[in-house]
Amino acid sequence: MKLFFYKSILVLFLFLVGFHYSFNYFVKKIKSNIEENFSKEKIEIIKDKIKKEMNVAIDKDNFISKEDANLINRFLDKIKSDLN
Amino acid sequence: MKLNSYQEKLILFLFYVLTTLIAFGVYQDYGIHIEEKFHRLNGLYWLHYISNLFGFSEIENISEIKMNEISDFSLSSVSRYNKYSVLLDLPSALMEIVFNIKDVKTIYYLKHLFSFLIFLTSSLFFFKILQLRFKKFFFSFLGLFLYITTPRILGDSFFYKDILFLSFFTFTFYFLIKSIYKFNYKNLLFFGVFCSLSLNLRFFAIIIPIFFVVAILIRNFNTAQFINNLKKIFFYILCFFISLYIFWPYLWSNPVNNFIDLFLSAKNNLVDVKIFYNSKFISNRILPDTYILNWIFITTPFLQTIFFSSGYLYCLFRFIRRFINVRDDVIQNDLWKSNSEKIDCVFLIYFTLFYFIFILLSAPLYNGWRLVYFFNFFLIYFVIGFLFNLNNIFRKKNKIIFFFIFFILISYNINSIIKIHPFQSLYFNSLLSEKIKNSYEGDYHGIATKHFFEKLLNDNNNKIIKVAVASHTPIQRGLEAISEESRNRFIIVGQEYNQADYIFKNNISEVNSYLIKKYQIPKDFHKIYELKIDKIVIYEMFKKIKN
Repeated sequence: MKLFFYKSILVLFLFLVGFHYSFNYFVKKIKSNIEENFSKEKIEIIKDKIKKEMNVAIDKDNFISKEDANLINRFLDKIKSDLN
Repeated sequence: MKLNSYQEKLILFLFYVLTTLIAFGVYQDYGIHIEEKFHRLNGLYWLHYISNLFGFSEIENISEIKMNEISDFSLSSVSRYNKYSVLLDLPSALMEIVFNIKDVKTIYYLKHLFSFLIFLTSSLFFFKILQLRFKKFFFSFLGLFLYITTPRILGDSFFYKDILFLSFFTFTFYFLIKSIYKFNYKNLLFFGVFCSLSLNLRFFAIIIPIFFVVAILIRNFNTAQFINNLKKIFFYILCFFISLYIFWPYLWSNPVNNFIDLFLSAKNNLVDVKIFYNSKFISNRILPDTYILNWIFITTPFLQTIFFSSGYLYCLFRFIRRFINVRDDVIQNDLWKSNSEKIDCVFLIYFTLFYFIFILLSAPLYNGWRLVYFFNFFLIYFVIGFLFNLNNIFRKKNKIIFFFIFFILISYNINSIIKIHPFQSLYFNSLLSEKIKNSYEGDYHGIATKHFFEKLLNDNNNKIIKVAVASHTPIQRGLEAISEESRNRFIIVGQEYNQADYIFKNNISEVNSYLIKKYQIPKDFHKIYELKIDKIVIYEMFKKIKN
C-alpha cells in the first residue's frame, strides 16, 4: 500500500512538472512576447511616434507627392462609385 | 579535539553574548525601510481593534490618535491590506503606547533590534536541529554561524519582514523534526502553534501542515497504530486552528470566510510591477523559471552555493536510489534507512516541494529572492550535510583540510559583512563583475535614503532642501531615520524635477525605464555623488546646475 502511495505521488509530481515545462512553458513564452511587444510602455512609445510623425507631416509643405495624391483620389473615387 | 558538553555550552554562550553585543552596537547604522510606516500603522490598527473589543478605552483612544498622525500620500490603507501578520507589529504598537515612546525613529530601531533578537533565537533552534541530525558540535556550530552570517540574510534580519518568517519557519521546523522523532502530544502542540504563527506571516506556510498530515497518514495507513496516530493528527489540526485564530485578529470577525479569502484574494493583492533583472525590465508575473536559483547563486557566498548544490544533489540521488528499491514487504527497504536519513528526506522533500510550488504557480516575486529567504534554512542544512558526508568519507585523514574549509567559510562571511556594512542586504557574490552586480535591482527597501539625507545635511547649509526622486522609492519615508529637526529641512517633490535642488536615484523602477522616461535625469542636473560599495551602486545623487 505504501508503495502505491509513493508511486501515485511521484506520478502526480512528474505530471505537474511535465505540464509546466510543456504547456505552461509555451503559454509563458507567448505571454512574455505579448508583454514585450504590446506592453503599456510600448504602446505609449508608438503613440508618441505617431504624434511626432503627424507633426512632421503638418510642418512639411507637401506631405503627399502629386503622384500619390492623384492615385489616392482615383482610388477613393472608385470606392465611392462602387458603393453607389 | 573533542569538547565536553560544558565547553560546548560555553562556546555557544560566548558566541551569543558577542553577537548580541555587536547587534546592540550596530543596529542603528541601518536605514529605515519604506514599509516601516505601514507596519507601524498595521500594529496600531489591530491594537485599536483589540482594545475596542475588550474595552481598553485608554489604549483605544491613544492608538486612534497615533493612527491619525501617520500620514503619507503613498501609504496603503490598513483596512484594505489587513491580512498582514501582527506578530511583531502589535506588540511593538503596545510597547510604543505603554512606554510612551514619542520619537518614531526610536520605535523603528527598537523593532529592528527585536527582529534581530528573534532571528538570533531561531539560530539556536537551527543549531539544535543540526545537533539532532549530525550530533557533531563543530558542524552544528558552523551551520549556526553560516545561518546568521550569510550576508543578505544578516542584512535583512533587522527589517522584520522576510527574516521574521525565516525565524518562525525555523522554530516550526524544529518542532516538526521533534515530532518526527517523538510523535507525542507535547511536540505536536508546539508544532501546531508554530505552524500557525508561520502561516500568520506567509500564507504559503500552509504547505507545512498539509504535507505533514498527508505524510503521516500515508506512513501509518494499514498499520496497528493508525487509529492512535489519527487521534494525534486531529489534536495537531485542532491546536493549529485554535492557535491560528488566537494569534490572528484578522480571523476574529469571520474565521472561516476570512481564512478562505486569504487564499482567494492572494492573486489580486500580489504586486504587479516591472523588475530590473539581468539588464532587462521584465514583468514580475512572467518570471523565468531560473529566477530563484539565479538569485540564490549570485547573492550567496560562492563556496556556500557549491556545497549546497553538492549536498542537495547527494541527498536527491540517494533518495532516488532508495525510492527505486522501496518494497512493501521489506521494512528496511524504505525511503530512508535511519532517523538521520529520514531528517535529510524531510528537508529534501520540503525544499523541493516549496521550490516547485513557486515555479508551478509562477509566483510573482520581486526584489530578488527575498520572499523566499527562508530557503536559506535549507541551503545551510545541505551545506552542513555535504561537509558532514565528506568528513565521513575522509575520516581522520584530512582534518586540516576541514579546518581550512571551516576557516574560509567563516572568514569570507565576516569579511563580506564588514566590507559592505550596513548594506549587507544588497550583497552580491564577490566573484561577479561590476556589470553583473549592477544589472539586477538593488535597494528596494530604500535603506540608503538615511545615508542620502545625512550626506545632504553634511554638505548643504540651505534651510530648505528640495529633493526629487528618479526611482520607484518613496524616499520621504526614509526621513524618519534622521532627527525630527533635520526632517523639516527637506521637501520631497517626487518627479517634479524642475522644482528640485537634488535628485535621488537608484535602480528601482516599476516601469520599463528604457522606454518610459519618467525617471530620466534632466539635462540641467549633474551627478555629484555615487555611493558604491563592493562595486554595487547603491544610489546616485544629482544636483541642479546653477545658471
